[in-house]
Amino acid sequence: MSLLSRRRLLRTVGTGLSTAAVGGAAAVAAAPAAAAAPREAPADAVGMLYDATKCIGCKACVAECTKVNDLAPDTELSGGLWQMPADLNPQTKNVIKLYADEATGRTSFVKRQCMHCVDPACVSGCPFNALAKGPQGIVGWDGERCIGCRYCEVSCPFEIPKFEWKQFNPRIVKCELCRHVLARDGQPGCTRVCPTGAVVFGRRDLLLADAKARIATSPGVYHQDRVYGEKEAGGTQVLYLSHVPFEKLGLPTLSERAIPAGTRHGGVLVKFVAFPVVLYGVFLRFFRRNWKVHEAEVARVKAEQGLEEQL
Amino acid sequence: MARAKPLAHPHESVINRWQRGVAVYEAPVLTPWFVVFLAMFVAGTVIAAFRLLGGSLAPFAAMTDAYAWGVWKTFNVMALTALGSGALAVGLASWVLGRHHLHTVMRTALVTSFLFYATGLLGLLTDVGRPWNFWNMLLPWRWNTESALWEVAFAMPVYCAAFLLYENGPMVVERLWHARSDRVRGWVRTWHPRIRKTYPFVVAGAYVAPIIHQSSLGALMVLAGHKVHPLWQTDLLPLLYLVQALVCGFGAVIVVLMTSCLVWRRPLDVKVLGELADLMSWTTLAWLALRLGDVVVRGRLGDAFALDAFSLLFLAETAVIATPALLLRSPRLRAVPRALYASALLACLGGLAYRFIPTTLAYAPGKGSTYFPSVPELVITLGLVATVVGAFSLVVKRFAVLPAPLES
Amino acid sequence: MTHTETGPLAATETTDRAGTIGDALTRSGVSRRALLEFAGKLMVAAPAGLALAAKLSPDAVAEEIAKARRPSVIWLHFQDCTGCTETLLRTSKPDLGDLLLNLISLDYHETVMAASGKQAEAALHDAMTANAGKYVCVVEGSIPTKDQGIYMKLAGRPALDVLADVAGKAAAVIAIGSCASWGGVPSSGINPTGAVGVDALLKDKPIVNVPGCPPNPYTFLGVVLQYATAGTLPALDAEKRPLFAFDRYIHDHCPRRAHFDAGRFARQFGDEGHRHGWCLYPLGCKGPITHAGCSTRHFNELPEVWPIGIGAPCVGCTERAVAFKTPIFDKSAVPAPTPSAQYPEIRPETGTVSPVATGIVGAVVGALVGAAYVASKRFSTVPGDERVPGEPDGSSGGGADGGKGV
Repeated sequence: MSLLSRRRLLRTVGTGLSTAAVGGAAAVAAAPAAAAAPREAPADAVGMLYDATKCIGCKACVAECTKVNDLAPDTELSGGLWQMPADLNPQTKNVIKLYADEATGRTSFVKRQCMHCVDPACVSGCPFNALAKGPQGIVGWDGERCIGCRYCEVSCPFEIPKFEWKQFNPRIVKCELCRHVLARDGQPGCTRVCPTGAVVFGRRDLLLADAKARIATSPGVYHQDRVYGEKEAGGTQVLYLSHVPFEKLGLPTLSERAIPAGTRHGGVLVKFVAFPVVLYGVFLRFFRRNWKVHEAEVARVKAEQGLEEQL
Repeated sequence: MARAKPLAHPHESVINRWQRGVAVYEAPVLTPWFVVFLAMFVAGTVIAAFRLLGGSLAPFAAMTDAYAWGVWKTFNVMALTALGSGALAVGLASWVLGRHHLHTVMRTALVTSFLFYATGLLGLLTDVGRPWNFWNMLLPWRWNTESALWEVAFAMPVYCAAFLLYENGPMVVERLWHARSDRVRGWVRTWHPRIRKTYPFVVAGAYVAPIIHQSSLGALMVLAGHKVHPLWQTDLLPLLYLVQALVCGFGAVIVVLMTSCLVWRRPLDVKVLGELADLMSWTTLAWLALRLGDVVVRGRLGDAFALDAFSLLFLAETAVIATPALLLRSPRLRAVPRALYASALLACLGGLAYRFIPTTLAYAPGKGSTYFPSVPELVITLGLVATVVGAFSLVVKRFAVLPAPLES
Repeated sequence: MTHTETGPLAATETTDRAGTIGDALTRSGVSRRALLEFAGKLMVAAPAGLALAAKLSPDAVAEEIAKARRPSVIWLHFQDCTGCTETLLRTSKPDLGDLLLNLISLDYHETVMAASGKQAEAALHDAMTANAGKYVCVVEGSIPTKDQGIYMKLAGRPALDVLADVAGKAAAVIAIGSCASWGGVPSSGINPTGAVGVDALLKDKPIVNVPGCPPNPYTFLGVVLQYATAGTLPALDAEKRPLFAFDRYIHDHCPRRAHFDAGRFARQFGDEGHRHGWCLYPLGCKGPITHAGCSTRHFNELPEVWPIGIGAPCVGCTERAVAFKTPIFDKSAVPAPTPSAQYPEIRPETGTVSPVATGIVGAVVGALVGAAYVASKRFSTVPGDERVPGEPDGSSGGGADGGKGV
């Protein structure tokens, strides 16, 4: 402790404390933003309710989706004969799949498209907000902002966004709830053409109530008497009812925590002001002290050995 | 507080066997190996140019919508920048913790770091599908500050292009002095003091940037949620990635130094290497505590010993990481060159594995989806690695990077 | 794409001898039931787009037809096979007599008229004079244009001149069959006579193309009767085909469509699939690219009497670019693909692994492991040994600048 005098120690601690105070103040200011309260769907959030017990697999929604969204039907697998996507893909925003259990003979169709999560991982991860929740909670894509990093594909728990791997100007393709025709048609193409009402469009709260009413009136019909999407990953605006386990339909088993919740360590001010400032302050404090040791040593080495400093 | 020790005698304090950076002037640049690396660099560059100018990713990459990130991101950016964290690790140790012995290896760490980061950024550029939209970085209201990828895309280029170049600056300025041109010397006389004056203030920032983005790299996979195997998926990933970056940073500097000594016939400095190894060992132990504690707290110990493929992968990874850390706790082994070298290699391997596995091997969107890099992807990746090696061998022959004993 | 319905072309009154269709039918003793049946079939043949057939019931259509005056029709034959006429002759209801003498006033038709030579020429002249500007000119067959049109002559005049003359005084021209529409069979291959359709020669006349080889007679009668009842022509598409009959692909209404969607195909003539009436697409069926109503309006009033119905792939005769231009058995593209009857798996397999790439990774990993092993073997195992590694004598002579390089 001989070289590091008391005064010096006090100054070190003092500077550290003052930077910490600045950072702390910023952290306090940002505290409301940092609060980890789960996000709620907007009051006017819209979505869809898909009831697998009502779907007859006619694919009218698949054909209509392609038409309304001006996509080229994916005929690659069928050699040009049919629109026959193996899954959602850059030409397919909506697909009907078939689950068939060979042992029990149990079958179910499932319609897959964007779930329009209440707190979507894709939106949280998108570096320039190319994917963002727009009016009525619809998750839409903006080509001016997208850098094509495909983080949305990595982060989406439902594996919905698809990337145009073969295009020079590749887009991220996914269901946007037909937001471009919503004002005109009042609903997306798929719900408009569904002949059985297996998929219906509406406000999320009303759809949820409807789904629960269906469960109440037909006890034992639906898997676990549960609405998928009510709470999964913090809730989704597209809801599912099914008579077979949801994971059999490719809907993953998810906790109730929104996926981005695990990455929100404080708000912008904490992350980009308070934390770096405190860190910088601490580093600078140590650095300047050691810099003085370094300078003394440089002078000594030069005197002893005639060598210039090498930073 | 150990730094408070008085600087009594050179050989006991700061000046050690490796006293200064000295360029390997007499070694020829154009060696057969250099030509090999150059060829790999050219091959990678040509394919990358075709990919960027010729359009779509599809013919070049085996990536799919299920495995949307290939080796360029998962290996070159997310794994290899850990090896490029030497500047952070050694810098923190020498400047912040005051381990002044380690100043002599700073230049090696800085050059290595710059090269790994620069090539990582090139890999990122090759990978993104709409690189022209990077101009959005100029519009702050379009930033999604919540995005870990934005942090990476912001902090990584800033660190590489501003901080690392600045830190490598004195080496270049010093070389310019020896150019013996009066005009250049005048320029050096103006700029060297300025660099020196600002050095502490800038360099303190140079340790903030990588701490932010190395943890962001870990945060990237947190958002992948259930798609990453529970043995790796944790909210602690940012911290684990950051600490592992320090481990890899120390390890990479040891490997680079010792390999350079082997290749360019330079004597070793066991004291410096042992100190690096000591720090690496402690950092690794801290990391292991975090890692295993996290697994236990999350109740995934059962998964760890389930002896399925993922469990074996986890055990192997942990063993590769733990072995050098435990070996190097022995002061005797820290003085044995071969033990140092093998341990550092193992540590780098383990660190790379830990940072690579959650993005690829333990990233399992589901049965039926596979990813293995395509030949063009590999050629670009290897080209980038060859660039690091080739450029390093070039730089050490033109600049005073590698430390050497004074007597020669 | 679609042209709007044309305005009134001319007064529909013709000579007294014609009278209304109703009068003519009564006079000839054709039953009202026969007219009703015809009206019903016309409604089926023109489900949308034909004003005449857009009525609530066959009675209303029959009434409208009965009220109309019989249009005067002059029928010209050029380079043809008379197949289009034959298709009219084979219409069983109303039969030939009813059609010719009662629905329309067929004033000149070389195949069915009794007159010949100068008498026939006189009949043509009379009809043209009597109804100048009011009659409908029907053209069957293509018109040769090469060498001043010498390859086809009528009473010593080239077809070109006859067409200009007769069509020039007509209210409208109906090109019946693919030959009259755009050249058809005579224009295929090297087109030795320079055969073209009416549309290529007449620029200032309303023209309706009724392509087909042969065309469906109801399409022709629909156009003529629309003209007779309202003095207008039906709405046309870009190829001047009446939309009421050509607004859909054969494929859209094909009775074998279910087999297509399910992937049940006839792979060759006479095979199991062919016998079971499966889809003919692989045999070259042009249904997916051909606009025509054949799949709902079969021929001869007999069910399944049309090419696909009898197991022959559609040749696309109503498309300018298909029949006589592309090989019959070549597979067509499907311009408007729709979902198949098969479903994707819940989790399909994706991703490819290139053996070369695995080889490269293996080689690189092997090389690195080998290099690491060899390199580490060159470091001393003696604690604190700071000598230059890899030099057996342990001399530190290399030093700072002593390296020999890589």
